[in-house]
Amino acid sequence: MIAIIFLLLLLVASIIGAAATGQALPVAEIMMLVAVFLVFFGAGVYIAAVLGVLGVLIGLIFSDRPWWAFMGQTLWTPTSNYVLVAVPLFLLMGEILLRAGLSERLYRALNVWLNRLPGGLLHTNIASCAVFSAISGSSVATAATMGSVALPFFQGTAYNQRMVLGSLAAGGALGNLIPPGITFILYGLMTETSVGALYIAALLPAALVTALFLLVIFVHGLRHPMEKPPKLPLGVKIRALSDLVPTALLILLVLGSIYGGFATATEAAALGVVGAAFFALLEGKLSFRMINASAEATARNTALLGLILFGAYLLNYLLTTINVPQALSAMIAGLPLPPWAIMLSIIGLYIALGTFMEGFSMIITTVPVVFPIVIALGYDPIWFGVIVTMLVEIAQISPPDGTVMYVLQGMRRDRGPITDVFAGVMPFLAVYLLAVGLMMVWPGIATWLPLVMGSVR
Amino acid sequence: MAHVAGWNHVACALFITFDIVARSLFGFSSQATVEVTGYMLAGGIAWGLAHTLARRAHIRVDVLVNRLAPRRRAWLHILSLALLLGLSVFITWAAWELVDESALFNAHDNSALRVPMVVPQGIWCFGIAAFVVMAAVLLAESIMSVLLGDPEAVDALLGARTLEDETAEALEAVAMAKEAP
Amino acid sequence: QMPASLPAGPRVPIVAVTQPLPTQPQYTRVDVPYLREMMAARTGGRIEVNLSTHAERNLGGSEIVRLVRSGQADIGGGTLTTLSGDVPILDGIDLSGLAPDIAVARRIADAVLPVANRDLERFGTRLVLMYPFPAQVLFCRAAFTTLNDLRGRRVRTFGNSLVDLMTAIGAQPVSIGFPEVYSALERGVVDCAITGTGSGAAARWPEVSTHVSTLPLSWAVAGYLVNVAWWNRLDPAVRTFLEGTFAEMQDKLWELGAAATRDGIDCNIGNTAACRIHNIAARPMTEVVPTDADRAQVRQIFESTVLSGFVRRCGARCGEVYNQVIAPLSGIRFGG
Ligand code: NA
Ligand code: NA
Repeated sequence: MIAIIFLLLLLVASIIGAAATGQALPVAEIMMLVAVFLVFFGAGVYIAAVLGVLGVLIGLIFSDRPWWAFMGQTLWTPTSNYVLVAVPLFLLMGEILLRAGLSERLYRALNVWLNRLPGGLLHTNIASCAVFSAISGSSVATAATMGSVALPFFQGTAYNQRMVLGSLAAGGALGNLIPPGITFILYGLMTETSVGALYIAALLPAALVTALFLLVIFVHGLRHPMEKPPKLPLGVKIRALSDLVPTALLILLVLGSIYGGFATATEAAALGVVGAAFFALLEGKLSFRMINASAEATARNTALLGLILFGAYLLNYLLTTINVPQALSAMIAGLPLPPWAIMLSIIGLYIALGTFMEGFSMIITTVPVVFPIVIALGYDPIWFGVIVTMLVEIAQISPPDGTVMYVLQGMRRDRGPITDVFAGVMPFLAVYLLAVGLMMVWPGIATWLPLVMGSVR
Repeated sequence: MAHVAGWNHVACALFITFDIVARSLFGFSSQATVEVTGYMLAGGIAWGLAHTLARRAHIRVDVLVNRLAPRRRAWLHILSLALLLGLSVFITWAAWELVDESALFNAHDNSALRVPMVVPQGIWCFGIAAFVVMAAVLLAESIMSVLLGDPEAVDALLGARTLEDETAEALEAVAMAKEAP
Repeated sequence: QMPASLPAGPRVPIVAVTQPLPTQPQYTRVDVPYLREMMAARTGGRIEVNLSTHAERNLGGSEIVRLVRSGQADIGGGTLTTLSGDVPILDGIDLSGLAPDIAVARRIADAVLPVANRDLERFGTRLVLMYPFPAQVLFCRAAFTTLNDLRGRRVRTFGNSLVDLMTAIGAQPVSIGFPEVYSALERGVVDCAITGTGSGAAARWPEVSTHVSTLPLSWAVAGYLVNVAWWNRLDPAVRTFLEGTFAEMQDKLWELGAAATRDGIDCNIGNTAACRIHNIAARPMTEVVPTDADRAQVRQIFESTVLSGFVRRCGARCGEVYNQVIAPLSGIRFGG
């Protein structure tokens, strides 16, 4: 429960702040917030309501502005944001592929090739997410697309549902780390580092994280061996490849339209929908009823996310209004510690903030304060950009608050508890953090490639 | 309403595709894609909210709840829904204030279409208001059930979806894929 | 000018949300020194400004009038074109092609201020100062020498008057969200995009485009708004202190606008010696110097197309205001 740690940190910060300025301590209030948060999660309150009510309480206790008077605008701006438009489009693409039977064919084909490996089809989750990340700049879109394609396939199989969900969430959390990614563009803008160099620097860390994910699945596969299906003759295997063709063409359409300069990453999602419908037509599955059912499912999953966005942005607005991220960053900057310890505190700060905040505003509120400290400590700006991106991705899959996990939960057909997702993502979260640790020990993982390729400023 | 929201997403895909094709082949662009698709997203979210609640798909952390006795569980369901209702009443009020302010300003967006902001914001606000009505009706129904001594009925209204519900739905989707062309 | 001190009195906490991004020189070189540092120093900590940017507050930029009106911020800054959806007259200060150089832009801004405030005060806000961003110019990924070369090219624009201008030239205006412009230029989804000379350097557009024009199409004039109720409630001594501060900041911001315009070009074309404000381009761009014919063409399109488009959107009264206040400075009357 990183969220709780965060609130306790807030408590510590306010004690320090109060000690410095001699103001009265809002300890009782903060303890109350922690309690409210715990009780709500335990009681099974809607996540949007937990976030939103917490925001309202923070506003009532800490803000001296009429924040409610601006709430309509606060909620309207992000939910009508063009950058998010890709999400329902990718969801819709997935629904159409599912109902046209194309996702099943993709997975059957891959299964023929992978099912004798320990961990089997779970590897495909990571691999396909990694491929998709190379098209998409958004973790949520990656998880949404691959989740809608993959989840139905695991229905009724012997695979551990938690691992299935965990691997898809983890795969989604590659969306921003594997270039292109929105986080890098934003970080580049804020810190005047080259986006191109950041992309190159991210390649090896991304490969490292992907490899660690595969290793997790491999180990899981060894420890929970499944009955190995009989070996198939090569001919059958080769023939199975033909089932990959429609999906490959679709990926080519989405990727090609971006790289060929016909469409932006958001627009490509729309092409994906039309392409999926086209393949459904070829399969003879395109009908009004089918599109109608896909549309309804998309509406449901978009609304589910939208409601959480409402709660999250409400909380986000109030936290920034009372300057929480800035105050915490400034506090860490003033700590009398050696550089590596300060860097660890910064990483801890991002992990804690990430449980609550959306990556975009988290970067923007903290980077201006944190970045000069990082540079003063002698760290490489490009290396730090990769670290920040990894931390933003980690935030997406760190319970209890992470959009990627909610997207997957929203797509499950068996509707078990959300804790399945939380539990499943844990081993992947652990190795993601391990990767951050490795990057701290060997910064060269990020800085070597840009140096070799001569794209450092 | 959910169908309107869903077809709105389909329309959004077609609109953007049209814009790409028109731009690439005919040197023509709607000049309002960014704005209009953003409004479609906001409307799609808002109009899907009520349906998603009725289908019990909004996300909760409900492990603990499901281990309780039916009567206590029913009251926790009611507490959750009441909090959600409270929050959504507030959001509806905030959305209405936004529409009202846009009307006061006679605000338009900066796209070539000069869309009056009260239109997309009004549609958005209406969707959220429908969500409030749905939540209120469900809440009233749940409280009635508990008072009438039928706490299991609350589970059916608000509880996490059961395996049977979901299997039925998944089978429907897969069946659609298996249908003869 | 900013007074040297302020008499003691009750503390005045101020919330100000000024520039779009915290990295902009307008923020680091003017807002932070004046509003945060000097303000605290010269008032002995009596006035304490909580300063932040749109990005930090998750704002899009078009809602600043409402932000200030609702009292979320006492002082709010934003570019006028972006605010014109709520208050249409603001668009008239910064029409594309209106001000050929920064001196004219400033005279127009100064003249319009009282008129614009009549509209803004209906919504409980008023402008206290106006300033420019660096000149808005064309960045293209292929060579061009005159505006006529842009015929048929896809140009990423924002705001209606730029759309009118580009359409009249024969280019194809394209609507793409700002975060996607970098990759759109990189992949050729658009051929050109328009932004400030320095903003393009900061957004690293030289990495994805090759030619930059020095012809100013507009100035992205921006302004600081205050909440009128709050302003009137202030202790008169504090108000006088703030007025002085705003006057001095306004001069500094116009100086910065002029310096940053040329500096942005120098940074984009790799002129290291002259590049002091922004960051130097890794891949130097080619500077495209406008011809007299280009300037004449922009002026002619302004007269024939842009101006009437503005009046059509804003209403007949805007045409009258334009003729009374701006026409004497621009030399072009609406309706001949
Ligand atoms: Na990516
Ligand atoms: Na999280």
